[in-house]
Amino acid sequence: MALLQLEKERLVWRARQLTGPDHRRQSSFYPTLDAHLQGGWPQTGLVELAYGSAGIGELRLLFPLLAQAESRLQVWINPPAELNGQALAQHGIDLSQTLLIRCQNPQQALWSAEQSLNSGCCSHLILWAPGLTAPQAKRLQVSAKGNQALMFWLHPQAEPSTSALPISARLSLAPLATGLRLKIHKYQGQWPQSFCQVDMHELWPSLAIPTHLPTHHGPAPSSNIAALPFKPR
Amino acid sequence: MQWLYLYFPNLQLDSLLHQQAYNQACVLVDKNEVVQTNSEARQLGIKIGTGLGQAALLSAQLKVIAYEPKQEQRLLAQLAQRLYQTSATLYLDPPQGLLLQTSDMLRLYEGLAPYWQQLQQPLMERGLHYHYASAHSPLAAQVLARAGNDRLLTHQGEATGLLHQLPIHSAGLNYKLCLQLERLGLNTLGQAQALPRSALGQRLGQTLVTYLQQLEDSSAPSRPRYQPPEHFRQRLELLYEIEHSTALRFPLKRLLSDLEAFLAPRQLQAAGLILGLEYREHTSERVYIGCSDGEYRAESWLGLSMLRLEQLQLQAPIIAISLKTKGQMPWAPLSAQLFEPLGGKLTAGQLISRLQNKLGDHAVQQVYLRDDHRPERSFYQGAPQSSYQAHQATTYLRPSLLFTLPQALNHKPDQQWCILSGPERIQSGWWDNVSICRDYFIARNPTGQVCWLFRTPREEWFLHGYFS
Repeated sequence: MALLQLEKERLVWRARQLTGPDHRRQSSFYPTLDAHLQGGWPQTGLVELAYGSAGIGELRLLFPLLAQAESRLQVWINPPAELNGQALAQHGIDLSQTLLIRCQNPQQALWSAEQSLNSGCCSHLILWAPGLTAPQAKRLQVSAKGNQALMFWLHPQAEPSTSALPISARLSLAPLATGLRLKIHKYQGQWPQSFCQVDMHELWPSLAIPTHLPTHHGPAPSSNIAALPFKPR
Repeated sequence: MQWLYLYFPNLQLDSLLHQQAYNQACVLVDKNEVVQTNSEARQLGIKIGTGLGQAALLSAQLKVIAYEPKQEQRLLAQLAQRLYQTSATLYLDPPQGLLLQTSDMLRLYEGLAPYWQQLQQPLMERGLHYHYASAHSPLAAQVLARAGNDRLLTHQGEATGLLHQLPIHSAGLNYKLCLQLERLGLNTLGQAQALPRSALGQRLGQTLVTYLQQLEDSSAPSRPRYQPPEHFRQRLELLYEIEHSTALRFPLKRLLSDLEAFLAPRQLQAAGLILGLEYREHTSERVYIGCSDGEYRAESWLGLSMLRLEQLQLQAPIIAISLKTKGQMPWAPLSAQLFEPLGGKLTAGQLISRLQNKLGDHAVQQVYLRDDHRPERSFYQGAPQSSYQAHQATTYLRPSLLFTLPQALNHKPDQQWCILSGPERIQSGWWDNVSICRDYFIARNPTGQVCWLFRTPREEWFLHGYFS
């Protein structure tokens, strides 16, 4: 009886559930991440990304996925700065399917997110919001699942929300010299894992610190800096 | 030819009361005289022509509304617009009458009874009181309808028989003429018709002769027949003042169902509506409700309108609302995929319209590219368009998040920063007075953020974006 109760409250999962429709994956196009997440991002649902501070590569983590555009909308809600169309286009994102929404208050942002998901014409949704309550997260998770959409919730805290939100995954990101270090706090259908290093050097060589580059490939990084015409104080 | 005349003695009052169940005595007053009454007022003994003072004595709770000929004319036109769907040839007879040519339509409806049933339906929906009569000539139909005849006569003989017995004073002649005829001992119309026309003309004037001729003349009136407007435009007076925007739902619903009835038979849809809110003692306001994909159904429009209205702060109580279309286009059904696995509840256009109506037009945007070397001008945000023109992006690596205003750095990047690439000099814009001269660097700060920095010729450093 006790086990049934636990199952009802979704506190335990069975290995056979892994093959169910809830656990289909789509590749993140980062081999190490795919290996850690048993195939990649969830096909549908809500994923929380705690990125600490902007600019560490939190969007680059998603760009390869978003570039595999289908013919549905990708909705961006309340990005912390202007979304640079040039950069999105460079990364292969279809701007004709990109919708940018700016809301005055958090309530409207959540409303827009829910409407976009429920419309059925949105494949990916990226929402910047400071916090979600459990009922809000539940509603968005249900909307995303029911409409074949994957939603990312980004917030600039270093650690993901402590409360046990009913969502598909909770990850926190930290910068590394060549990419990101992901901590997987929760991932539906598998045990929490410690860490995963995502190497972005291959995709963005110019944005990684060239520590492991052989020096004969060009000017040394130190000389690169030294060549800058800073005026001495 | 057969003619049908519809007479609406209470047109303005009926239209007003139909919106909301009002069960108190209510009258329309023109120049201190009651011109239209509802049944409650009639029960209290208030009649047409009663003075306002006397009416007020008969009922303490009497609701008095000013009679407005213009509004009544508008209502008549709206009614004609609706009836035009049933009957092709109709003439307005302001202030309260409509003349319909029936003979042509009977072939379509296969008889007078089905045709009449079709006509009655919109009248009942609007809760209108009406009198009607059909006859062989326009004037005969009019006279019989105004006399409250309420019969559909198919044979000319029946109509002439009724006209013969009609008392002179209810024949629609002016008061002086009626008096003269009655003094001559002519009490019914038939008695006047029996007399020689020339003699009548000499004694009582040409008006009467013309009148009698027209009674028998079955040809169409000389005035132009009703032509429906090309664009939908309607106004609704409210019986009560509305102070909350959500309470507009019910009157708006009525206008929108009229809109649907206007658009659907024409195979049209509207890309936007302009809702006019007329305030008491305040200039009226216009609210635009958009639906870029186009829509004709009242239900969808109501949902969109309510999203917009929820955001609205009313400046004063509303006394009337009006609705007109902006951008009518042919209805094109959206092609849905036959084996659509994704539900597909809304199209992208419908979603965008919904978001725009709730959040405002500026809140929902798409990103467009532009050929400009200046980073902040190399893209712009604009209203979503159904046809998106693809544009070649620059080959230089650009940050995904860009600040509208570059943020000044307090001190120049020191040893803890790691410069990853640069400088990339951008010097442009000398032709339009927004010239820039900047050396851009990609640098990683001690926190691990990959920043896009620039240095001006004056050695000032700014943070312009993040390679998120």
